[in-house]
Amino acid sequence: MAVAFRNVTKVFPDGTVALDGFELTFETGEFVVLLGPSGSGKTTACRILAGLEPATSGRIEVGGRDITDLPPRERGMSMVFQNYALYAHKSVYDNIAYPLRVRGVPKQEIDGRVRDTARLLQIDELMGRRPGQLSGGQAQRVAVARALVWQPDICLMDEPLSNLDAILRLQTRTELKRLHAELKTTFVFVTHDQEEAMTLGTRIAVLKDGSLVQFDTPREIYHRPASRFVAEFIGRPAMNVIDGAIAGGRFRADGLELALPGRADQAVGLGIRPEHILLHGRPKEGAQAFRLDVKELVEPDMLLFVRRGALALVVRTKADLAGLDALEPGAEVHLELPGERLHLFDAASGLRQP
Amino acid sequence: MVALATLVVVLVIALTPYLWLLMTSFKTRLDALADAPVWLFTPTLEHYPMVFLDKGYLPMVGNSLIVAGVSTALSLAIGVPAAYVFARHDFAGKEDLFFFFLTTRMAPPISVVVPMFLFFGYVGLIDTRTSVILAHSTFNLSLVVWMMRGFFADIPREIDEAAQMDGHTRAGMFLRVLLPLAAPGMAATAVLCFILSWNEFLYALILVAFESRTLTVGIPGLVTPHGTLWGQVAAVAVVATLPIIVFTFLVQRHLVRGLTFGAVKG
Repeated sequence: MAVAFRNVTKVFPDGTVALDGFELTFETGEFVVLLGPSGSGKTTACRILAGLEPATSGRIEVGGRDITDLPPRERGMSMVFQNYALYAHKSVYDNIAYPLRVRGVPKQEIDGRVRDTARLLQIDELMGRRPGQLSGGQAQRVAVARALVWQPDICLMDEPLSNLDAILRLQTRTELKRLHAELKTTFVFVTHDQEEAMTLGTRIAVLKDGSLVQFDTPREIYHRPASRFVAEFIGRPAMNVIDGAIAGGRFRADGLELALPGRADQAVGLGIRPEHILLHGRPKEGAQAFRLDVKELVEPDMLLFVRRGALALVVRTKADLAGLDALEPGAEVHLELPGERLHLFDAASGLRQP
Repeated sequence: MVALATLVVVLVIALTPYLWLLMTSFKTRLDALADAPVWLFTPTLEHYPMVFLDKGYLPMVGNSLIVAGVSTALSLAIGVPAAYVFARHDFAGKEDLFFFFLTTRMAPPISVVVPMFLFFGYVGLIDTRTSVILAHSTFNLSLVVWMMRGFFADIPREIDEAAQMDGHTRAGMFLRVLLPLAAPGMAATAVLCFILSWNEFLYALILVAFESRTLTVGIPGLVTPHGTLWGQVAAVAVVATLPIIVFTFLVQRHLVRGLTFGAVKG
């Protein structure tokens, strides 16, 4: 069954265009991540899917059925909110049971389902507490339990991990992945954190300025970013992109010249990820000499910030690489940019060149 | 020490008149009118049965209860949903309308009481509890809207949305989720409305004269050409203050929160 955004546009009363002809189609059972910087429209897309926000134009379809005008309760979707939105006046048990009660599930069935879900999320000990007595991580689990207990078709999550501290965020991330594997429920997960997106998503939808830029598996997004924007948004540190031009089979930029045979003459951005640059201690055929500016240790890796004239690059390498410790700022390093690791982006549109 | 002393002074100032009232309601006419205040006296129980049974003031207690209760309920029924809309939705002229609700309280009651009398006379409601209930609702309604807006604003919007995702209609969301969450605020507001209506004198005095008189209107009836019946006045006043004391103790925690927090945040 396919879930589809068809040419969805959302203009807020103050004139902000949150979504601009947004198109996205995915299958149920997926873990779809909506990824983008703030203001990219990812949360709006999620809320329009939920029915909490009307679309200005366009359609939402589930299994070919137009659900654009259905109220939230008739969409078969649940939602986990960033601030959890638990009912403060109800116990944990009643919070989880609430969607079942509202949806008229028979009483004898409710208890079993609430307890099963609570066990799944390891919160069966907390049943009698009030939301006010829970830690952030516990509240988060209760919110997820409430969203999953009635077995919705789609579970929407709007930045559910951003209020958790770092360690808890990683744990919860893993749990969500496990939940998805066990339950096969469709998840739609909104985040601005590319690492979260890369680890959780079966497919990632990258949004920018209210439009879909790329919708692909994490692997494809990483290895074949559809545009310069995606390339720079995914991966830390960000991909190096060097502005220059191709002429006569050679790429030329301020401070760099590289053979790129078989390419048409055009202005391009040449991209390479910091971890794909090869570092050599001494001059080598095809390697370029740079001057080391700053070294940053990010165990087990080392980041090298290098310069060559106006050109600045970041290199990521193993921290235990032989001879690395001897390198001091100011030293000369030789970098090889392997041809198969290079990305070319059109200078004007930023689109990937095949 | 200073705090304690201040407290004692405030308590003495605040409670002495009430104590005086309480004592007077048990004093004989002679004791009540004595030149030098009499602190020790033989209490009499004659005033209470006299005024409430013989003079027929008991139904006034019922009138006051009905007027205050219905006016409170009516103001809540209209004002609470209105406050929710003010807290959650944007529409043209919202803040102006909100301010307009407040301006209804700015005119001194005496300035509207004559038009009100003429109006109720025209529709045939003079000397009915309905007229007093409606009159009291005019000021209670704005109080409800102003106080409850803050309470609704304190509930995160996501709660509304969670309730809808959990399967509620908009009405269900409001009635089943938001109202219970706003209940402490509603209790505080209700008590305040009740007290304002219960104590109100001017509208009630002008609008009703006989069977529908409220307790406050009854008191001047005890000022007779032969002198004021202080013992009976005090007895009525004591009974009139009882519900207020009870209510205030019941909800004082919410009341303080409602008055300082909810109202200001609107």
